[in-house]
Amino acid sequence: MRAGSPPRVETTGRRIRLAYLLIALLIGGLGAGMFAPTAAAQGEHYVVATDITFAPFEFQDEQGNFVGIDIDLLNEIAADQGFSVTFKPLGFDAALQAVQANQVDAVIAGMSITDERKAVFDFSDPYFESGVQMAVLDTNETITSYEDLRGQRVAVKNGTEGAEFAESIKDEYGFSTVYFADSASMYDEVRTGNSVAIFDDYPVLNYGIAQGNGFKTVTPKEQGANYGFAVNKGQNAELLTMFNAGLQNLRDSGRYDEIIDSYLGEGAAVSDNSFLGLLKSTFPLLMAGLKMTMILTVVSIAVALLLGVIFGLMRVSRSLWLRAIGTTYVDIFRGTPLLVQAFFIYFGIPAAMGFQMTAMTAGIITLSLNAGAYMTEIVRGGIQSVDKGQMEAARSLGVGYLPTMRKVILPQAIRTMIPSYINQFVITLKDTSILSVIGIAELTQTGRIIIARNFQSFNMWLIIGIVYFIVIMALTKLSDRLEKRLVQ
Amino acid sequence: MNQLAPETAAAGPDGNVKIRIEGLRKSFGDLVVLDGIDTTISEGEVVCVIGPSGSGKSTFLRCLNKLEDITGGKVVVDEFDLTDKKVDLDKVRQHIGMVFQHFNLFPHMTVLQNITLAPLLTKKMDKETAEKRALDLLDQVGLAEKAHVKPATLSGGQKQRVAIARALAMNPSIMLFDEATSALDPEMVGDVLEVLRRLAREGMTMVVVTHEMGFAREVASRVIFMADGNIVEDDTPDEVFGNPKHPRLREFLSKVL
Repeated sequence: MRAGSPPRVETTGRRIRLAYLLIALLIGGLGAGMFAPTAAAQGEHYVVATDITFAPFEFQDEQGNFVGIDIDLLNEIAADQGFSVTFKPLGFDAALQAVQANQVDAVIAGMSITDERKAVFDFSDPYFESGVQMAVLDTNETITSYEDLRGQRVAVKNGTEGAEFAESIKDEYGFSTVYFADSASMYDEVRTGNSVAIFDDYPVLNYGIAQGNGFKTVTPKEQGANYGFAVNKGQNAELLTMFNAGLQNLRDSGRYDEIIDSYLGEGAAVSDNSFLGLLKSTFPLLMAGLKMTMILTVVSIAVALLLGVIFGLMRVSRSLWLRAIGTTYVDIFRGTPLLVQAFFIYFGIPAAMGFQMTAMTAGIITLSLNAGAYMTEIVRGGIQSVDKGQMEAARSLGVGYLPTMRKVILPQAIRTMIPSYINQFVITLKDTSILSVIGIAELTQTGRIIIARNFQSFNMWLIIGIVYFIVIMALTKLSDRLEKRLVQ
Repeated sequence: MNQLAPETAAAGPDGNVKIRIEGLRKSFGDLVVLDGIDTTISEGEVVCVIGPSGSGKSTFLRCLNKLEDITGGKVVVDEFDLTDKKVDLDKVRQHIGMVFQHFNLFPHMTVLQNITLAPLLTKKMDKETAEKRALDLLDQVGLAEKAHVKPATLSGGQKQRVAIARALAMNPSIMLFDEATSALDPEMVGDVLEVLRRLAREGMTMVVVTHEMGFAREVASRVIFMADGNIVEDDTPDEVFGNPKHPRLREFLSKVL
């Protein structure tokens, strides 16, 4: 039940879907001459954004399947209504932005229906009634009511109703709040003793407690808001209609209660959460994440090298304009955080220009441009390290500037660039972890997804840290050897 | 080749003039390095430029193929004005070979590749012809057996002879030598000077900035003495070395001879 930041209204049309509808209308009209509106939706495919760390509504099970109340409900509604769904786990804030940017068709992410949100989204009928509840560590005997929070810190998650509720009572009970981007960090804050309690949605809390996360509830749940499925204002109305109809069918058949019980009932199996047990059960997922990390790194650093050579040549050019372009590029991408660049490229540009791009595309563009700026400086340094006499000798023979660069200067510059290039490779590899914020399932994101399910943050981050370390050490050693061979 | 008398330098336009320098000025910021140079270099001349360090002789030489931006005045090579922006400098430079004090061989290439690089890139020459010509030139400078080694394995004198072969591979009509023997061990100097001597005998137009007074006296058809960015004396070697007129030249010669 996230209260959430009120997002700005986007009216960008979905041109592709519109074109599709037009074609369908044309074919339907010309063909049979009878065109039923419901028939148009048959087999329709939708992309739905969701959170990643919001068990029991959405999370990955040990096999890497995306499950949860939201997922099961929407899948069964889709089956009931005859459409298909692809889920995009983006994280809550990112999911909302993706709907507004028309990157996706809808969002289902344990989102409460609020008046603020109604201004920018169209909501379905409520599909779950929630409420905020407080939780403390199982071993904590001193906090039994809100009064006991006086002078203490309380952890909450950005944009949630839990946060809103805590804010509304913190002056009355005299505690302070600290904010986190995901549930796992919020729980860890309390585990490490920095805060004493959390406020979160009761189904989330109770699912975690059932999973053995070491927390307990000591106060009753507050009266809460309703969760709704949402589409961008004025769009995908047929999807909302189908959702409502399907939800009603599930409630009537009793399937709705079965789904809820399967997550909030008492049968939640606790798995082997020892270091080795976790390593074994999560290894395939982690390797898939590592593969994604490597793809991102290798593609981005290759593009970055190209950008680095192009802009590096501009940086050493005699033309004031070319130098200015090179300098501007470097300054922009070295002068802003990678995180902001990722958000700007993934959400900002598509929203402003009215097109879509995948998180992977946005991720590669972001990393390439960012690493390209650093590569530009590496290339510039490499070129400037080559003796001026080399350029003079080639030019005095009548060889042009660019052929001289290509045949004489760059081949020598590369030798001095290799150590910096390897260093940049390692930095870019580590930077891929930042792309977890736009929902790319690389190694760090995989870790967050796993922790959202099993709450084993210490062991999991240890495992993930070790995986990064091994890969980076192996690469460093490999490139040391390569360097020695090349420099000879 | 017709050896021209020194007075031709002051003569007017002539079919045999290769380089015409008019009021050439060069400054680096406030520092004036060349302060209005006027002279001509004629076909087949071997002009040695001498003078104390800082006199501007290397800068003067580097202006002749515009490796230095020219601050003022004109340098006209074969009727191409180097200060004219429309002139294709690369084309002009293909006719002016240059040899540097520090050789400036390309260290990542073999000797053969060093020599064939420019012909392959700038002339539509096939690789076989270019290599054949390169081997021929290497043979002339006495380094035929070094074709396939990297420059790092050569001695200074060998490097400089490769550099000369590299410049000659473009079939230049003018050769510029910028203190070509200054960075060499004394026992290496002779081999390099021998190559220069042979070029001079074959009639190559040469401008040689040098500290080798013996060489200048023996080989030059004309000697230019520079000081403080000006040409102070410009005459035959016999006159410059045997009958120096200007006190600056006398002072200089008393130190180096």
